[in-house]
Amino acid sequence: MGTENPGRPAYPGRPATTPFGAPPPPNVRPFSSTPPIPGSGPSTFRPTTAPPSQANTPFASSGPMAETEAPGFQPRPPSTFSNPSAAPPPALPSYGSPAPGARNFQRFSTPQFTQAPQGPPARPPTMGQAPFGTPPAALVPGAPPAFRPTANVPAVPMGLPPQRATYAPPGGSVPQLPSESVPSVPRPNFQQSYPAADPSVPTGRPTVPPLFPGYPNQRPHAPPPATLSQSPFAARPAGDVPAPVVASPFQTHQGGYVQPHTVPAPFGMPPRDPMQHSASGPPSNAMYGLMEDFNSLSIGSVPGSLDPGVDSKALPRPLDGDVEPTSFREMFPLNCHSRYLRLTTSAIPNSQSLISRWHLPLGAVVCPLAEVPEGEEVSIVNFASSGIIRCRRCRTYINPYVTFTDAGRKWRCNICSLLNDVPGDYYAPLDAMGKRVDFDQRPELAKGSVEFVAPTEYMVRPPMPPLYFFLIDVSVSAVRSGMIEVVAQTIRSCLDDLPGFPRTQIGFITYDSTIHFYNMKSSLTQPQMMVVSDLDDIFVPLPDDLLVNLSESKTVVETFLDSLPSMFQDNVNVESAFGPALKAALMVMSQLGGKLLIFQNTLPSLGVGRLKLRGDDVRVYGTDKEPALRTPEDPFYKQMAADLTKYQIGANVYAFSDRYTDIASIGTLAKYTGGQIYYYPAFQSASHKEKLRHELARDLTRETAWEAVMRIRCGKGIRFTSYHGNFMLRSTDLLALPSVDCDKAYAMQLSLEETLLTTQTVYFQVALLYTASCGERRIRVHTAAAPVVTDLGEMYRQADTGAVISLFTRLAIEKTLSHKLEDARTAVQQRIVKALREYRNLHSVQHRLGGRMIYPESLKYLPLYGLALCKSTALRGSYADASLDERSAAGFTMMALPVKKLLKLLYPNLLRIDEYLLKPSASAQDAESTMKARLPLTMDSLDSRGLYLFDDGFRFILWFGRMLSPEISQNLLGHDFAADLSRVAFSERDSEMSRKLCALLQKIRESDPSYYHLCHLVRQGEQPREAILIMSLVDDQIGGTSGYVDWIMQIHRQVQQNA
Amino acid sequence: MCLADLEFDYINPYDSSSRINRVIMPEFLVQGVLCFFYLVTGHWAMALLSVPYLYYNVDLYMRRQHLVDVTEIYNMLKWEKKQRLFKLAYLILLLFLTIFWMIMAALDEHDHE
Repeated sequence: MGTENPGRPAYPGRPATTPFGAPPPPNVRPFSSTPPIPGSGPSTFRPTTAPPSQANTPFASSGPMAETEAPGFQPRPPSTFSNPSAAPPPALPSYGSPAPGARNFQRFSTPQFTQAPQGPPARPPTMGQAPFGTPPAALVPGAPPAFRPTANVPAVPMGLPPQRATYAPPGGSVPQLPSESVPSVPRPNFQQSYPAADPSVPTGRPTVPPLFPGYPNQRPHAPPPATLSQSPFAARPAGDVPAPVVASPFQTHQGGYVQPHTVPAPFGMPPRDPMQHSASGPPSNAMYGLMEDFNSLSIGSVPGSLDPGVDSKALPRPLDGDVEPTSFREMFPLNCHSRYLRLTTSAIPNSQSLISRWHLPLGAVVCPLAEVPEGEEVSIVNFASSGIIRCRRCRTYINPYVTFTDAGRKWRCNICSLLNDVPGDYYAPLDAMGKRVDFDQRPELAKGSVEFVAPTEYMVRPPMPPLYFFLIDVSVSAVRSGMIEVVAQTIRSCLDDLPGFPRTQIGFITYDSTIHFYNMKSSLTQPQMMVVSDLDDIFVPLPDDLLVNLSESKTVVETFLDSLPSMFQDNVNVESAFGPALKAALMVMSQLGGKLLIFQNTLPSLGVGRLKLRGDDVRVYGTDKEPALRTPEDPFYKQMAADLTKYQIGANVYAFSDRYTDIASIGTLAKYTGGQIYYYPAFQSASHKEKLRHELARDLTRETAWEAVMRIRCGKGIRFTSYHGNFMLRSTDLLALPSVDCDKAYAMQLSLEETLLTTQTVYFQVALLYTASCGERRIRVHTAAAPVVTDLGEMYRQADTGAVISLFTRLAIEKTLSHKLEDARTAVQQRIVKALREYRNLHSVQHRLGGRMIYPESLKYLPLYGLALCKSTALRGSYADASLDERSAAGFTMMALPVKKLLKLLYPNLLRIDEYLLKPSASAQDAESTMKARLPLTMDSLDSRGLYLFDDGFRFILWFGRMLSPEISQNLLGHDFAADLSRVAFSERDSEMSRKLCALLQKIRESDPSYYHLCHLVRQGEQPREAILIMSLVDDQIGGTSGYVDWIMQIHRQVQQNA
Repeated sequence: MCLADLEFDYINPYDSSSRINRVIMPEFLVQGVLCFFYLVTGHWAMALLSVPYLYYNVDLYMRRQHLVDVTEIYNMLKWEKKQRLFKLAYLILLLFLTIFWMIMAALDEHDHE
């Protein structure tokens, strides 16, 4: 808005010429005065006021001449504007288009422009200065006359300075321009387009506020483009092909710039901006823009015919994996990285009606502790003396988008726009551009993600030590499967790596039909076991020594773990008193909280919380009672989960049974305590050992945040209304997370509180208050900004498929808890259909779409992921297609997965690796390229002469083609290569090829360490084992589910039905 | 009953749900007894009126959804409030009818005298 306002006020004045004609100072005046006007966007805007002074300087220098000419120009500007408007009259309604265009333009050009004004102050020399310098030069000779007028208008305030100075003389051009002051016409458009564009401005560069003033003006017609624009404009009325007379440096600008006008439809396609940028001539740009309006798929089917008329190869497939939204980041470079926060669309709708037309979920997916690559760690800020600086009213933490005013004594909160005082310790003067002089030294002002060290006010109790408590089932099945041994070994090997070294606490309980406590006091040499058999009235013997400090009692703990497997070797107890054991664990841990790891092998059968065998009654499936099987049977579990959270205990459940264990009930414990579920159906230590070891080790050693709470704040007018994931709500918007780590993500949905948003930008701030393993209380803050738009097309353009699908998944899984699977699937499909239909309606007016199916570029994978979601373990088929436990476990897991991993799970990688293995000298590069060559997930991709690797983030499936050369199989599998593969364990053999394959698998595993990929071997045509792969080939039509082509056809038909 | 509103912000879900849950069983019992009482005293019209309410309660109880769930309390908040408001309206209606009948009865007696 900043821009718009400044422009506006100036404008009215213009006709009169007086303001302009006046000496430079006045000139500036209007400008500076304008900023205040924008009232609505105060925070962002403020800076502008400051800058004027600075802006002036350049002006003044060039001053004398410029002013004189100024009068001449004035008329000009309007005319230029009017042209564009005239040209695309049809576009008017959707005028948003120019805005986006403008925005792109800004986005890119900004850096450069900004510099221009800054030139004098010499601020960040980083960006575009170079380009800028050149353009003027180029211009001078060629286009001076043209230049003048156009540039002038918009650029008045700032962009001009440099140019003005140089060109002032040529100003004579003025006369050329027929000063048809048709401003009235253009104006309206102008305004309209602005709102959309504006957001980017203020936010785009909050840090560099001063720039804005100049900025805005440029937007309409940045000076450089002006040169070109002139010709294009002139031509415009006649036809839209802009004249290609362009100085090369400018072209770039033009690309962004011209586009909006030439393309009537609003779809300038931000994502593509970079390309436009580089695109050479305007004409090509225009074409490009037109083509990229939306993507379409021609579906020329004859209804009823067998041939669907769709080339299945042409359908979009996310073979490059997840594409992070980049435009968002370019627009707001100060936003936190998208690995922490992803919005389903980075253009927030400004009205209820827009939301209701959007049809997809509107919200965010937050992964507060996402793993960062080396070198990008979140910086830690310690305000030792002044305390953490937050807004008085809305409690927002200080962030890059706040603006400082009053010479640095006050700051304006970007979320509630309240003026706060800057504490004395934190004061720093502002430089000429309204930026704090210590800007670079303060990460909280320069980065979207920071971590504050919290003082004592943020603690209700002293920070707890990291605490690990193990609840281990030692009944007969646990002994037989070898689970106890693997667990004991793994824990023992991780003892040294547990986080928070000197303070870490540890404790154990084992149980079968009785509960065994272990006293591991450091003074003992042997752990002491105490058995409690009274399950109805649990008490804790020795309340103090059951939890011990690891560093003090390490030897005792080690002895215990060494002897644990042998202790229960001969146990024949089949009962499991899980409920009472859980209660006992709660009692032991309630003082401190911590992480509770539950190893459960059978269905709980004794004491409270005993569960029945459900789900073997086939008649229940498909009736209204079916969803109840996916919810906890006994309220005891929900109650326990609530109590665990209350005492800051996070539970992770490891389930191993080959029979029904009621994950739906037991998993509740993890769901409401921010934990996760690991499910190893039919665990056998021979085959699952590595997987369990890896995952348990990761669970124990990864960086964990303890006793955390998370809140996400957002600007006035919008509100987060529902939250989805594994956590418990402690109040309407506070998520209680007893333990969080990098593998957990949370999703939330937004709603508008007011019918109309008046601000141009909304801000989101995620704050996670937690205790780090080192015992420090910290607050991790992620801040992001997003523009508010009035145009539905823009929302679609800025959509983020990954986040949308993530929310879809969570909503669908929640739906399965109260509805049939079928309903959940239909709901997903319906929403996709509605969204695409809305999108189609948006375009069908201007374009003859015929039988084509159209979808926004940003959502091209949406239908496919939707299909994959419907085929995922949690949602697919009916009861026969996945066991209850598997389904529940998958559901719980998917509720917590971060976006990237979820997408990989939904649409796994399929790679052909035999060529790589056969290559005699395979370099690392070959491995890279093999890993990148992903294939569509369909039977057609599988060549019977090949060896394929299927990787969904949780398991590998090696598929051996029937005609695969025996040499490969022999090398990989040893002598039993011809045997039944279900009985062959995959391991490294003594051959070059085998080593190479293992190295490749290892590499993939390392790139995605949160889960261990268990390797399955499958031979072509080997039923029923091959089904595990076939079920995952999403694109194919398998047993009653539709394939990709059918799915697209279905969607397309439904879209057209009521279009 | 009004606790639903109360816990908007001021009390935590644990307290509020335990307080709500404490009164739910007594409420169901009282309602049942009342219904039974109507039936026994021969006010079959009134008994009939309160039967749906009773049925609803019994149904909830059978489905084991009568108690407020701490973990889902925020998601259920809207529904719970609506449900309780309906119940309240229903009870008020019953109350008025009872008073009406009482007055009628009193008038009748009066007339007889």
